[in-house]
Amino acid sequence: MKKARNILFLLALSLVLVIAGCSSGGGDNSDGEKKESEKASKSGKDIVIAVADNFTTMDPHDTNDTLSNSAQKTMLEGLVGFDKDMNVIPVLAEEYAASEDAKEFTFKLKENVKFHDGTPFNAEAVKVNFDRLADPNSGLKRHSLFSLIQEIEVLGEYEVKFVLSEPFGAMINTFAHPSAMIHSPKALEEHGKEVARNPVGTGPFKFVEWKPSEGLEIVKNEDYWKEGFPKVDKITFKPVSENGSRIAMLQTGEADFIYPVPTEQADSINGKNGIEVESNSSIIVRYLAMNLLKAPYDDIKVRQAINHAINKEAFIKVVMNDHGNVLDSVIAPDVQFYSKQDPYAFDVEKAKALLKEAGYENGFKAKLWGANHSSAIKAMEFLQQQLAQIDVEVEVVPMESGTLSDKIWSVQDAKDAEIELYYGGWSPSTGDADWGIRPLLGGHEAFPPFSYNISYYENTKVNELISAALATADLDARGKAYEEVQSLVWEDAPWAFLSTDNTMAGKKNYLKGIYLLPDGSLSVSDIEIE
Amino acid sequence: MLRFLTKRLLEIIPILLVVSILIFLFVHMIPGDPARLVAGEDATLEDVELVRKELGLDKPLHEQYINYMANLVKGDLGTSLKTKRPVTEEVFERFMPTFWLTFWSMVWAVVIGLIIGVVSATKRNKWQDYLGMFGAVSGLSLPSFWLGLMLIQLFAVTLGWFPSGGMESWKSYILPSFTLGTGVAAVVARFTRSSLMDVLKEDYIRTGRSKGLSEGKVVWGHGLRNAMIPVVTMTGLQFGFLLGGSVVIETVFSWPGLGKLLIDSVAYRDYPVIQAEMLIFALEFILINLIVDLLYGVLNPQIRYE
Repeated sequence: MKKARNILFLLALSLVLVIAGCSSGGGDNSDGEKKESEKASKSGKDIVIAVADNFTTMDPHDTNDTLSNSAQKTMLEGLVGFDKDMNVIPVLAEEYAASEDAKEFTFKLKENVKFHDGTPFNAEAVKVNFDRLADPNSGLKRHSLFSLIQEIEVLGEYEVKFVLSEPFGAMINTFAHPSAMIHSPKALEEHGKEVARNPVGTGPFKFVEWKPSEGLEIVKNEDYWKEGFPKVDKITFKPVSENGSRIAMLQTGEADFIYPVPTEQADSINGKNGIEVESNSSIIVRYLAMNLLKAPYDDIKVRQAINHAINKEAFIKVVMNDHGNVLDSVIAPDVQFYSKQDPYAFDVEKAKALLKEAGYENGFKAKLWGANHSSAIKAMEFLQQQLAQIDVEVEVVPMESGTLSDKIWSVQDAKDAEIELYYGGWSPSTGDADWGIRPLLGGHEAFPPFSYNISYYENTKVNELISAALATADLDARGKAYEEVQSLVWEDAPWAFLSTDNTMAGKKNYLKGIYLLPDGSLSVSDIEIE
Repeated sequence: MLRFLTKRLLEIIPILLVVSILIFLFVHMIPGDPARLVAGEDATLEDVELVRKELGLDKPLHEQYINYMANLVKGDLGTSLKTKRPVTEEVFERFMPTFWLTFWSMVWAVVIGLIIGVVSATKRNKWQDYLGMFGAVSGLSLPSFWLGLMLIQLFAVTLGWFPSGGMESWKSYILPSFTLGTGVAAVVARFTRSSLMDVLKEDYIRTGRSKGLSEGKVVWGHGLRNAMIPVVTMTGLQFGFLLGGSVVIETVFSWPGLGKLLIDSVAYRDYPVIQAEMLIFALEFILINLIVDLLYGVLNPQIRYE
């Protein structure tokens, strides 16, 4: 009798636990369906944005992560910037011109713009900022983008000229890079390196407080130069590294906008609780690099075979849950001078035939290196399975970031490089073909440890064309050169060309004017609540 | 007693010295180039070398060690390579949230754990015991990651009682401290149960009962007090571990604590931050051990400090 009561009790208890478990998941679902067409509502004009990591610094000149750039962009602005499709648009500049030889760049500045501390924005302010960036002794992480600047001439209160030590055709895009945003000269003088914690710019929002582990608070700049903007009063950024928690914040309304949204969960939250998921193409490319100095990858037929053996559509479905596109050049469509190539069709028979021609009828063994986070491992396992179809036996070697970078960059002589296959990604943050191609495939000058030519790809013709494209500011000439570069690289296939990522954000449907750019940075200057 | 305390406190200095040397060596032995990692994913060699110089990583190792020790003696833990902020600030900012979260988790876990343990021991093999131990085993086996996310789904998303994360008001403490304390409560319950059951077999308990003491007095007054020594040891250890910060809890509840800082700083090879955190952990364990030793004396006056 007693025993029976015990058992009954335990049963009842487990039932309660099961019900509690279900009501969390299940209740949520039915809620969502009811609210499907509902418009979420918002009182007040304070916005909370949850992001995946802590910001590292508020000094764009010393920043190398897109996330920190996103925060800085709310407060600081550059001479030029990017629009939604990565086209260069004037911001603090009224207009700009480049000399034919791509050595001189002149900017006419907007008048009547003031920094948050009241300092007027003028040519002198521009000079102070870029002198800082161009000086190697300031120890800034983004110095190398501006190391070519030889002289900055103030031509008038609102006109400034940059003179480079050698031609650099991609310079306008470099000026649009987030690192070229402008501090108040007064703040630079007062705070020195501490501008990293005291950002003062001309942007739509003003700095209030930043605690790295808790978040950043900014308020509306009442004197913003763009009439009628910004349209919200306050924005709070919160670092929330766990995907599930970030999504929960959007569901509870603790956050109005979150990014990134993991591709696995995008479809299940979209359209419920007044949530909209925005999935848009980015300029991040995914590729499988092959070491061309090593057999069998020195044989172009082997490289082409590998390209044919991989089903890119399936790659996007499996690895990215359909939030991505097939990569059809070495750079993504939103990068300047992109030109579309004919994809390597998924064709196992053709791949096998190519391998046979190359003398690898029975396949070979390969080591595939990559990062050790779950999405990279998933991608590498997919590639392993695809290449098994042509009897290439791939060993997946995921590595922790420090170890991986040691393995890749401690190589002093290219011939000693151990690397065979490498799964990687690249986002050319200047939005120009130059930064999308030269660091990765720009011949021996880009070999590790100098840069990221992990394929050890060297094609003299490509090198010449890249140099030629940098020697002029003539857009047509640059475009032609990069068109040829892209088709040559595509033929040579130093990579298996895989996919481009999507940017993934989630928002409440009352928010408008907030979006992720194809470079993954956030734009909030037009944000409004409906 | 005072002599004991002074001696123990003085002992801390050589221990920390040895620990600091070990930490410095180990940290520099991890593969990975901090300059490369700090410079970022699309840095050129020029950037990397600039960063290396800026961070003082171009100097020989012994010179770096001498600098590190010289600063340490002055109480300066250096500057974070990643954020360029003083490490003291960086670490202290996260120490308090971790401390308070640990403290509240331990408070409820010890209270609940003790109650469950005592009830289970006195109602041995009855339904109360089964229920208590069922709860304890569940508490130990539930992955805190899953538990945390489930609690968020239920209490934050569905019911809206508590915030899903962050550290804003007392309400923010409820879900994370519950999640963090669950495992500890379970361990305390099991330790208390077995230790108390042993004690209750002792002669002096029988004496107590036979001289007519109430069962409550026997169990809570005489039994539990004697059963506490292993429980206190274990609780002290748990406290020390939790003070290191829990990466899982901090990640799930976006808690600005030490655990995530350590993981991030290891990923970045942020040497000064790793060294500072390890030193603090060492110090915490030394102090907790000392406190535990002192508590023994309170529980059992036969223990003398010489």
